[in-house]
Amino acid sequence: MSDTALRTEGLSKRFGDVVALDHLDLEVPRGEVVGYLGPNGAGKTTTIRLLLGLSRPTEGRAEIFGLDCRRQPVRAHRRLAFVTGEANLWPSLTGAETLSLLGRVHGHVDEPYRGALIDRFDLDPTKKVRAYSKGNRQKVVLIAALMVRPDLLVLDEPTSGLDPLMEQVFRHCVQEAKDRGQTVFLSSHVMSEVEALCDRVAILRQGRLIEMGTLAEMRHLSALTVEARFDRTVPDLSAVPGVSAVEVDGPTVRCQVRGSVEPLVKVLASAGVTELLSHEPSLEELFLAQYGADGHAG
Amino acid sequence: MQADLGIRARITAPVGARGSPAFLVAGLSTRRAVRSGILWGYIFGIAIASSEITYGRIYKTAAQRDALAATYGASKAMSALFGPAPRLQSVGGFTVFKISMTLMVLGAVWGLLTSTRLLRGEEGSGRWDLLLCGRTTQRRATAQVIVGLGTGLAALWAVTAVITVLSGRQASVGIGVGPSLYFSVATVATAAMFLAVGAVTSQLAATRRRAASWAAVFLGVSYGVRLVADAGVGLHGLIWASPLGWVEELRPIISPQPLALLPIAAFVAVLCALAVYLAGRRDAGASMVADRDHAEAHVALLYGPSGLVVRVQRAPIIGWWVAIGLSAFLYGLIAKSTGTTISGSVQEVLSKLGTTGTGADAALGVSFLVEAVLIGFFAAGQVTAARSEESDGTLDNFLARPVSRSGWLGGRMAVAVMALTLGGVGAGVSGWLGAASQHTGLPFTSLLLAGVNLVPPAIFILGIGVLTLGILPRATAVVVYGALVWSLLVVIVGGFGTVSHWALDTSVFHHMASAPSVPPDWVANGVMLGIGAAAALVGGLVFRRRDLRGA
Repeated sequence: MSDTALRTEGLSKRFGDVVALDHLDLEVPRGEVVGYLGPNGAGKTTTIRLLLGLSRPTEGRAEIFGLDCRRQPVRAHRRLAFVTGEANLWPSLTGAETLSLLGRVHGHVDEPYRGALIDRFDLDPTKKVRAYSKGNRQKVVLIAALMVRPDLLVLDEPTSGLDPLMEQVFRHCVQEAKDRGQTVFLSSHVMSEVEALCDRVAILRQGRLIEMGTLAEMRHLSALTVEARFDRTVPDLSAVPGVSAVEVDGPTVRCQVRGSVEPLVKVLASAGVTELLSHEPSLEELFLAQYGADGHAG
Repeated sequence: MQADLGIRARITAPVGARGSPAFLVAGLSTRRAVRSGILWGYIFGIAIASSEITYGRIYKTAAQRDALAATYGASKAMSALFGPAPRLQSVGGFTVFKISMTLMVLGAVWGLLTSTRLLRGEEGSGRWDLLLCGRTTQRRATAQVIVGLGTGLAALWAVTAVITVLSGRQASVGIGVGPSLYFSVATVATAAMFLAVGAVTSQLAATRRRAASWAAVFLGVSYGVRLVADAGVGLHGLIWASPLGWVEELRPIISPQPLALLPIAAFVAVLCALAVYLAGRRDAGASMVADRDHAEAHVALLYGPSGLVVRVQRAPIIGWWVAIGLSAFLYGLIAKSTGTTISGSVQEVLSKLGTTGTGADAALGVSFLVEAVLIGFFAAGQVTAARSEESDGTLDNFLARPVSRSGWLGGRMAVAVMALTLGGVGAGVSGWLGAASQHTGLPFTSLLLAGVNLVPPAIFILGIGVLTLGILPRATAVVVYGALVWSLLVVIVGGFGTVSHWALDTSVFHHMASAPSVPPDWVANGVMLGIGAAAALVGGLVFRRRDLRGA
């Protein structure tokens, strides 16, 4: 049995002249929760559709638990469940009927867990899908995926349309799945969600994987934000090794520092610093650093 | 970079440059309705022109034309199917008789599908809410869509009229501009009425499918009432009880009765006003006929994709069965009386439609062509519904689970084949029941086989549809309905005149024997089934290997 839940090798997809995914090499070990980030059009959904066999790769291959996604999709799908942010369901069925259908199609349902999920997500299963709000339709697809206790959860914007309370419920469910040893591949724009849940993060830009690692690794490679306050003249920090993005606001100076902080600390101490704050970059800051503040690839 | 600038320029262009924001909904609806109207206008115009131009070539002498008039003028079967035939000695009278009823029904189908798509369909998709956030109200937006539909109707009429006028100016045809324009009005009149019917059912029903089904039921009833009125059973007064009858009473070219436009115009005006009024009486997304938001779970059929098809499609399938069964029963009911009017000369002309013999079996032989068309549309509906599952994303729910593409498509088509077969058998049994009630003496097996005989052309259509679904998924509806309409027009034009055998061979209905007047041609049926199955197989293989594609 493969210890790798998900693997891609040189996976590429072109639509005419547009390269949607460019030689993606990715490996997700069993039991890991991986965040998959990138701006709109970076290739996240394309990756997921290739993994699910809904689209065919132009080059390369993808595997789920060692099963080729293109040649053995049915066997691969027995091991996974998929949640999309666009819940397209059958309007004339009720929530209960939809869950019954999708459970039967998958072949195995943890019935008590399904009941618990319906309660936790506060879903009225007697209602017809056409009468559900977007958030409630999203709950149906989430419950349908979680109730089969798959080895791999492939989630594409799974909390789209959910209120903050339901987002918390979702996070608990993913945490439980992780505790049970299930693998989660999470594509999301909600940075706090990814930061809270994921062991590792992969960042995609224009179809290419540009960063993959734990948050700690990424932070280590990224700048530390420092804010210092003085009761006399603010020193010039622009020449200090490793310091960048210096901003002076009256008696306060903000800057970013990469590598050793020792040269900066020496300068600040000699200049009579009265307050000193520093913080590691959040995932959002890391993400924006990759793409620029306007969200575009920089 | 150039292309990028072009796109940005289009996006940022002030709305006022293309029209007031207050009329944006009308603009959007107009664009979609006009495109469709122009396409169908070409089909209508070409059908009329081909009929007008071929008349002089086929019926060259006065004696031939008198024989034609004597043949059809006295035939109750033909009158029931195509309407009365008062002046067949003229090209105009012949064309009106030959083509009007078919175009009337096609126009009605276009009207109800277009209006339910642009009204209830937009509302169901959620796009309607976006529009209502603009400078409009539900009532105004509905009125604007109706304006858009009216413009689409004008496009349908304009294209039909231009081709009809040009055809009429041919020396061999010789129909003036005025009569041609009036004929064009009569041709699109049912489209106008069923645009309005669709606008009302869009307010009443909660889903587009239901709105279209209710409008289709109204069309079926209208056709049935007209058929009885024209069947020569002493009930001609019923003609005024059917909107299709009003259009018939316009009597274009031969003896125009423009006064019959009054009920048509009143019908359209009242229904459009009613649609706008009802739109203001309900919430956006809701319907006038209450839809149950809650229901008990019934999961017996929900074991997989095929069971879901049966569950979701059972109402439309039963609707089709009822329409096919009722119409076949009706044809059986009038077969004896209409069959008595078929003389030897009629038989000669009917032979061009593939029918031989005289009496009730000959009448049913022609009538069952209509049944074949109905079952063909039923098949086309099944394959376009499969394509809709792919384009609206519901198919992803299955294919992201342990369901193979071939399993899904094969199951879906198996359900369609079963439904079509039962529809054909039902047509045969219903036709026999109608005929037996009038003591025609037609044997049960003869009509049962006539019903089974309707299935191969439908399977052929289904196969072509699956092939298109595999290769050109976005063209599925156009190809499958186009093939049907083409086949129908070719077989009608060919039946009443001379069409090259190359053209006739392209019509699937031309290859179907006119049972029960002649025995089913099992070799031809086998070929149709074989081609349909092969096309479906190739389509299925291509479908397995391609990307899923949205709308």
